[in-house]
Amino acid sequence: MTKRLLVLLVLCLVAVSFVYAADEKVEIKFLHRWTQYMDYFEEVVKEFEEANPNIDVQMQAISNDPFKEKIKIVLGTDEAPDVFFTWPGEFTNRFIRAGKVLDITPYLEEDGWLETYIPSQIEPFIYEGAYYGAPFRLDGKAFYYNKVLFEEAGIEKAPETFDEFIEACQKLEAIGVTPIAFGNIRPWAVSHFIGTLNQKMVTDETRFTDLDPAKGTWTDPGYVTALEKYVEMIPYFNDFSNALSHDEARATFFNGDAAMMYLEIVETPDLEEFASDEVKENWGAFVFPAIPEGKGDQDYLTGYPEGFVVSGTTNHPEEAVEFLKFLTGKEAGKLEVNMLGWINGIKNVVGPEDNVSQGVLDTVALVLNAEEMVNWLDSSLHAKVWDAYSTQLQMLTDGFTTPEKVMEAVRKAADEVRKEFE
Amino acid sequence: MRKNKIYFIYIIPALVFIIVFVYVPIVQNFYFSMFKMNSYTDEWTFVGLNHYLNIVKDPIFYTALKNNTLYAVFSIIFQVGFGLFLAILIDSKFVGKRLKVVFRNIYFLPSLISITAVALMFYFIYNPNIGMLNGFLDLLGLSEWKTAWLANPNTAIYSVIAMSQWQYTGYIMVLLLVAIQKIPRDLYEAAEIDGATEFQKAFYITIPGIKGMLVATSIITVIGSFKLFTEIYVTTGGGPYNTTQVLGTYMYRSAFLFDEMGYGSAVAVIIFIITFVTSLIQIKLSKKRNKG
Repeated sequence: MTKRLLVLLVLCLVAVSFVYAADEKVEIKFLHRWTQYMDYFEEVVKEFEEANPNIDVQMQAISNDPFKEKIKIVLGTDEAPDVFFTWPGEFTNRFIRAGKVLDITPYLEEDGWLETYIPSQIEPFIYEGAYYGAPFRLDGKAFYYNKVLFEEAGIEKAPETFDEFIEACQKLEAIGVTPIAFGNIRPWAVSHFIGTLNQKMVTDETRFTDLDPAKGTWTDPGYVTALEKYVEMIPYFNDFSNALSHDEARATFFNGDAAMMYLEIVETPDLEEFASDEVKENWGAFVFPAIPEGKGDQDYLTGYPEGFVVSGTTNHPEEAVEFLKFLTGKEAGKLEVNMLGWINGIKNVVGPEDNVSQGVLDTVALVLNAEEMVNWLDSSLHAKVWDAYSTQLQMLTDGFTTPEKVMEAVRKAADEVRKEFE
Repeated sequence: MRKNKIYFIYIIPALVFIIVFVYVPIVQNFYFSMFKMNSYTDEWTFVGLNHYLNIVKDPIFYTALKNNTLYAVFSIIFQVGFGLFLAILIDSKFVGKRLKVVFRNIYFLPSLISITAVALMFYFIYNPNIGMLNGFLDLLGLSEWKTAWLANPNTAIYSVIAMSQWQYTGYIMVLLLVAIQKIPRDLYEAAEIDGATEFQKAFYITIPGIKGMLVATSIITVIGSFKLFTEIYVTTGGGPYNTTQVLGTYMYRSAFLFDEMGYGSAVAVIIFIITFVTSLIQIKLSKKRNKG
């Protein structure tokens, strides 16, 4: 009996191995960072494989913070993913410089692929005149506020200037609510404030020079003024902001205990799902208030698309590009809107047939109407400069340092980094 | 002679494994530490001992060294010192036979939980808003002592150290208890006939009787303190503002956050030297003990 079973098993194995040998599928390794939304990605992969039976997509996901560290390691191995997630800016540029990202310009310019994207969403993927990736999710930053608390505090309209904003904070504090919910245990949170303030205080030219690790000197006094503005906001944060995660702080805003929070528009679906009923029905969003004396354009919006790129060392560039095209294309974009409430970079991806809330559409409009987008400070900086900056910013939030000292430390780090590029 | 050769053949597989997976990486690591490189390019630049020079110039290196040393000092006091006290207490006649088993297991239990789970639990205990510790202080009327334990630079490293003491004191206690139980009982009986107090028995019989185990557990805790990584990584990640960096996280930060694999290797070499010297001391001390 056992013998017969064994023979059967061996036969099965042989049969299976024949099937595999006959199958000449091209395998594409795909890496993203959304461990919590696997159903969506599984669906995309399934639909892609149905349309392209000769391609087999092997998907893997690593969650947000570990992703930033692990991607560097996997790109150094022979097992580098063929299509992987990335943030445009210096985060990606260092991989481009190392030859780890494929220049997809020729593919994009073929058969009008490039024209399917919203220009402001594909442009961030340009490095030295060539396209290296495609947008997967558009994003921007805005203050979300609780209309009930604003009314209780006697604030008639959403603040438009920084002075009005501070005034609103004072009124909210006077009625005993936390004006701004802020969780900064991972300092990307503070980078969103400082990135916004820096852009508003210095000219584009200065900003772009300083973001370039080979040129940045960070000497413009506007950076110190930006931090002084930030210091004005600190008293209105909840207590222990450096000890709370973004999600922990967000819970207080969602529950109606805090009046405002600086959120990404991709968080709108979360708000609509997890906030208390009162907050769900009474929230609004406004862009970071203008600072009229600042040298930067006051109509820019902080936020940058996230996207996917093809590996520079892939053995199957054609198939990988095909998958990239599908992943960031209209069909996958429709699924994305309906399943996750996110909008990708394709023109007119949302139609009347799609199941998407007015809240999402309104906040997405902030991005589409912005004059220009400003990249996230953390992913646009060299890792060492950002480390010095973020360490100092957490100290500043706790009151252990001053704006001048923060910039001194940033300049010192930038000087060291510049030397590496000489 | 022939017999010896056959023995040699038997140990070859293990020897090859150890050489390939332990000794070669150690030597390789030292070699890597002399290059500037990152994980995703093939460019290697020889920098000699420059990484070591930069490490000794970096203030964070000293913070890390100080934190590892603090960890070692506290671990010896609590795990070995307090663990010894608990072991003697549990072994004494004050604790009934059944209770001995109960207490032993209760104290030992924390060391069985994975560090990550313990760290997550303490992360919540120390949470400034919903944490048990601040809630407890409120109950005691000590609300002004409340703080963000893991985010306050004055309390963070001590909060993490406290977590480790909670976890490992029971483990060390059980090791010591086993050693105590190997001491011949007639020594205690003789002491009792002579009218020795419990304190005298502990001081003149128990402690000298388990000296070897005391040395061994001290060395284990010291080496453990210098190899520290997970506890810090999961709770504070080295923050706030690098005040809780230890050598392990400092190495990780250089290698994986700053893409400086060579610099990270240099830190690893320093950690290796520290633990290696500690082990040498252990071997020397235990030899002395065997002779005596």
